Amino acid sequence: ILNQDVDPVTGVLRTERLIMVRQNVPMLVRKIFGGDTSYVLEYSEVDPRKQTLVMQSQNMTYSNLLSVGECITYTPDPENPKHTLFTQSAQLKASGALCRFANKIEDICWNRFQDNAHIGKLGLEQVVSKILAERQAMMMPMTQTASD
Amino acid sequence: MESIDKKCTPLKREYDECFNKWYSEKFLDGKESNDCTAVFKTYQKCLREALKEQGLTKMIDDARPAIGSVFNDSDN
Repeated sequence: ILNQDVDPVTGVLRTERLIMVRQNVPMLVRKIFGGDTSYVLEYSEVDPRKQTLVMQSQNMTYSNLLSVGECITYTPDPENPKHTLFTQSAQLKASGALCRFANKIEDICWNRFQDNAHIGKLGLEQVVSKILAERQAMMMPMTQTASD
Repeated sequence: MESIDKKCTPLKREYDECFNKWYSEKFLDGKESNDCTAVFKTYQKCLREALKEQGLTKMIDDARPAIGSVFNDSDN
C-alpha cells in the first residue's frame, strides 16, 4: 500500500497499491524484456455511503511496448439494490518495437485477459465471505448469552 | 502476501491486520476515523525507502495520471 486515506468530506476510502508480479518466462523473453519482474500500479476508491468500489490499474513496466489499463466497478444493481453490478473494462495497446505485431499481440493479450478476468471477481467474493464469516463469529457469543 | 521489500514485510503484516480489523468493524458501519495511522506511517516510511533503493519512484509518478490517483509523494 503506497498511500491510503479516508476523504474527510466524502468518507471515501482511497488506496494506491503497487503490485509486483514475477512470472516464469522463457530465457529468450527474459533477455528481450530485461527480466521477469513487472509492476502494476492500482488506485481504488471505496464509497461506503454509495456502496461502490472503483478500481483502476495500469502496468508500469514494459508500458513502452504494451500498455494495459483496467477499470473495474462494483455498484448496487439499480434494479435490485441487494445485488451488486460488476463491470470490467480494459484497454490494451501494443506499440513501439512491437508495432508490426501490434494486432496479433493485442489479440493474444486480450484472450488471456478474458480468461483471467473472472479471477479478480472470485478473489473479491472470497474476501467478502471471509469478512462475513468473521462478523458472524463475533456476533455468536452475544447470541449465546441472550439465549441463556 | 509479502512486501516488495522483505524488510518491510513485518510492518506490512502489522498494518494489514490493523486495517482489516478497522475496515470490517468500523469503516463498513460508517465509523470512518482510522486508528491505524501511526502503524501506517512506519510501514510507509520503510516502503518509500525501499522504492527509492529499487529506483521505482519515477515510474510510479509517471503511472499516476493514467489511473486517476489523487496521491503524490511530494507531501513527505
